[in-house]
Amino acid sequence: MTDPANRDLMHQAQEEYRRAHDFDRRDPLFGLSKNDLSGPRLSRRTVMRLMAAAGTLTLAQVVAACAAPAAAPSGSTQSGEAAAPTTATGGELVAGWAGVAEIQTLDPAQINQVLQFQIASNVLSGLTHIDPSLTGQGDLAVDWNVSDDGLEWTFNLREGVTWHDGAPFSADDVVFTYNRSKDPAQSIHSAVIANILDCQKVDDLTVKLVLEAPQASLLTKTLERSSGRAMTIVSQKAIEELGLEQYGLTPVGTGPFRVTEHQLGQGVVIERFENYYDPERPKLDKVTFIPIPEPEPLAAAIEAGDIQLIGGNAPAAELIDRFLANPELVVSEVTGPGFQAIFINPWREPMMVTDFNKPLDELKAENGFKVRLALAKAFDRDTFIERALFGRGRPGFGTVNPAMGFFFDTTINEKSEQRFELEVAQQLLADAGFPGGEGFPTLKLLTTPPGRRAGEVIANMYQENLGITVELDIKDFTVLIEDGNSMNYDLMALGSGGDYDPDDALVDWMQTSSKFNGPNRDTDTMPFGFFSDAEVDALTDEQRTLADPEERRALVQQANQITSDKVAAIFTHHPTDILVYRTEVTFPDESRIPGLVDLDRTTISS
Amino acid sequence: MTRYLIRRILASILVIIGVATLVFFLLRAVPGDPFAAMLAEVDPSVADELRRKFGMDQPVYVQYVLWMARLVQGDLGNSLYGSNVSVSRIIAEAIPRTLSLTFLSALVALAIALPAGILSALRKNTVVDHGFTFFAFLGLSMPDFWVGILLIIVFAVNLQWLPAIGYKPMSDGIWLWLRHLILPAIATGTAFSAIIARMTRSTMLEVLNADYIKVAHAKGLGQRQVVFRHALRNALIPVVTVMGIAFALLMSGTVIVENVFAIKGLGRVLIQGILNRDYPVVQGAILLVSTIFVLTNLLVDLLYTVIDPRIRYE
Repeated sequence: MTDPANRDLMHQAQEEYRRAHDFDRRDPLFGLSKNDLSGPRLSRRTVMRLMAAAGTLTLAQVVAACAAPAAAPSGSTQSGEAAAPTTATGGELVAGWAGVAEIQTLDPAQINQVLQFQIASNVLSGLTHIDPSLTGQGDLAVDWNVSDDGLEWTFNLREGVTWHDGAPFSADDVVFTYNRSKDPAQSIHSAVIANILDCQKVDDLTVKLVLEAPQASLLTKTLERSSGRAMTIVSQKAIEELGLEQYGLTPVGTGPFRVTEHQLGQGVVIERFENYYDPERPKLDKVTFIPIPEPEPLAAAIEAGDIQLIGGNAPAAELIDRFLANPELVVSEVTGPGFQAIFINPWREPMMVTDFNKPLDELKAENGFKVRLALAKAFDRDTFIERALFGRGRPGFGTVNPAMGFFFDTTINEKSEQRFELEVAQQLLADAGFPGGEGFPTLKLLTTPPGRRAGEVIANMYQENLGITVELDIKDFTVLIEDGNSMNYDLMALGSGGDYDPDDALVDWMQTSSKFNGPNRDTDTMPFGFFSDAEVDALTDEQRTLADPEERRALVQQANQITSDKVAAIFTHHPTDILVYRTEVTFPDESRIPGLVDLDRTTISS
Repeated sequence: MTRYLIRRILASILVIIGVATLVFFLLRAVPGDPFAAMLAEVDPSVADELRRKFGMDQPVYVQYVLWMARLVQGDLGNSLYGSNVSVSRIIAEAIPRTLSLTFLSALVALAIALPAGILSALRKNTVVDHGFTFFAFLGLSMPDFWVGILLIIVFAVNLQWLPAIGYKPMSDGIWLWLRHLILPAIATGTAFSAIIARMTRSTMLEVLNADYIKVAHAKGLGQRQVVFRHALRNALIPVVTVMGIAFALLMSGTVIVENVFAIKGLGRVLIQGILNRDYPVVQGAILLVSTIFVLTNLLVDLLYTVIDPRIRYE
């Protein structure tokens, strides 16, 4: 960015970024007026403030928003010829859903995979839905207002909305959805709405939410139609009429498309809902989603034109360069929300560390820790990403990922004890009694069948860099997770996706009580799982309760830094989010939300 | 014959119950916890709730008795995943796809194998025989998924004659149904055709040397009549046995080709169930597959009596 226009843009973005964070932390309305917070549409300034208050705003996002109101999200790269500017409506799109054998459910209460809510988001609605230009929009809520203490939110619902089965939509449906989602026996997402104490019907088209504490992310996360899933509005009538099994396959919603067919494992068909509240959408008549488990047939299908778009899991990394080289395909790549790591069993020699609470300097004197640090420092992330992921990923040093924006420490790659320093790593290994890897036992790396390539690159790297032999122990995910939970491994490759909040990274992974931290281990012989540090536990607990995002960020980054320095795991990389489609498809930037595949604005030319 | 049939059917039922019982306990002995994997993305506190819901908190023998009790009533249970779709529905949806693929694959296998086997035998040790032998071994040595991908690249990507993936039911139109199955049927049929062709060749050779063939020739019968009426019919008995096994294998074992062509047949139901440790689905699918094997064996034994009237069961 050297030309004057770009400099101005940068200044404007920096100024907007500063203003977004400039408010009194104790104010329950985050320095905004009640008017600002009322719907149907939030201004860019309001959304930026809410994102800043929630701690999810990045400067890059502001730059993108300043550059073009409806620009693609930051970090987006595209290839292929620009699609013909067509406003054609109608037509049928066939989408391949990668790396999956079946769409197990479309019932929001049971959805536990991103690839499921990518489809559900086209069928069901929420009170709100955010778009990539940082503007929160009412979905089923037409406008809303908030009480002075930020605890009572009143939503006016859209009039004349009908369910796909013709029944009218009303406040009763919102209350029904809330009560259903609140019950852990009926929904797996009850925790998402823990802060909402009550959902009351005021009249047929008005509902009131009562919160326990002010919550900046209410509109953009909790009530969001896809990622929240607890408040994705479902039809009581349809659930009762169809039964849970059928509702999970062909849910009745109020979204732009209605499900007309779902053969488990063979595909889902959705068709344009004629009575959708926005007469301009959707553009397409019909969309068919076909699950395609194998990478090569997936590639052949889009190259042959049998499918025109790839959604679902990320397509295999080795295919992306092939897609980029194909002028008939468009590849859109943005930063993805997740991390991958190699976990080291601290209860096995020679990597044994029985107490991570000691200061780092003391730990560094222990042979077991020297080995762990040597393994982490000999891990050349750039080479790994190049060889195992064909360059698609970003070096990782902790569980907190770059998509978390504000919380992500962009300098952790320079500060972390895990940074790549081969000679130091070799010296550490020698100091631990294994010069040149001599006498070091063979380690087994537990991984899944899709992780084979990455596993081989890792094994090769340790052989080359440290003279250590690593053998792959490839097991199905169901077995791997059981071995992981009972700490039955030397090294284990595992990670996470869909992490939008620091809690997803720290609470789920890095606390002594984290759900992945060896929950089924023998506690007599292993007092903790793969990692336990009292300071990390305390910092993680504290950050959850803080209203001040800057304070929260400081604690999140501190905890993340400790897990990185004390080698809670060898953090390898953060994956990217990739969408591939044929040039006859126009997938507007307005719909390019990382992790989602909203097709209501998508068109296809014959 | 009737007594034989009753005896065989009773024995078959015993075999099926035995297999079902074995699978039930083996599955639970295999490492891997369906709920641990399922809950990787949600709150673990829901796990106990789910285990209760599916009766997995009960001792294994109690689960077995409950499963058997439901089985007698024709209830195969529900999948542990997603919307807990009933196993009978999953299987009922998969059967037409598998049957279609099996039927067409068997057709492809026979269409290649019988002429190749007969010609090889008649032209023993000639270029024709060696040529067919070469292609038979080629067909045997090429893995079906590789043949499948090769077919996709040639006929779907380059020539764009046929679709690369997917399945359409016959109710959408015979041609649409056939178009989607041609490539997968060739991919699975080729390997089986190689086995059947070799089998046909060797039994034909044996029969062609028999005295009654010489008699037939001596009687002045034409070559065509000797081959088809006298030789082939007798040579078919071992071939029918192989075809029976091949048919049963195809019904459950086309999983790799099903994955390549994105068709969810019985094989994929089974493998997907095993990978997910979705116990009710695996139990249901194995029950069906073992029934198919047992019934096919019975059918093959009965077919012998039709092909060779000298065979009688008492």
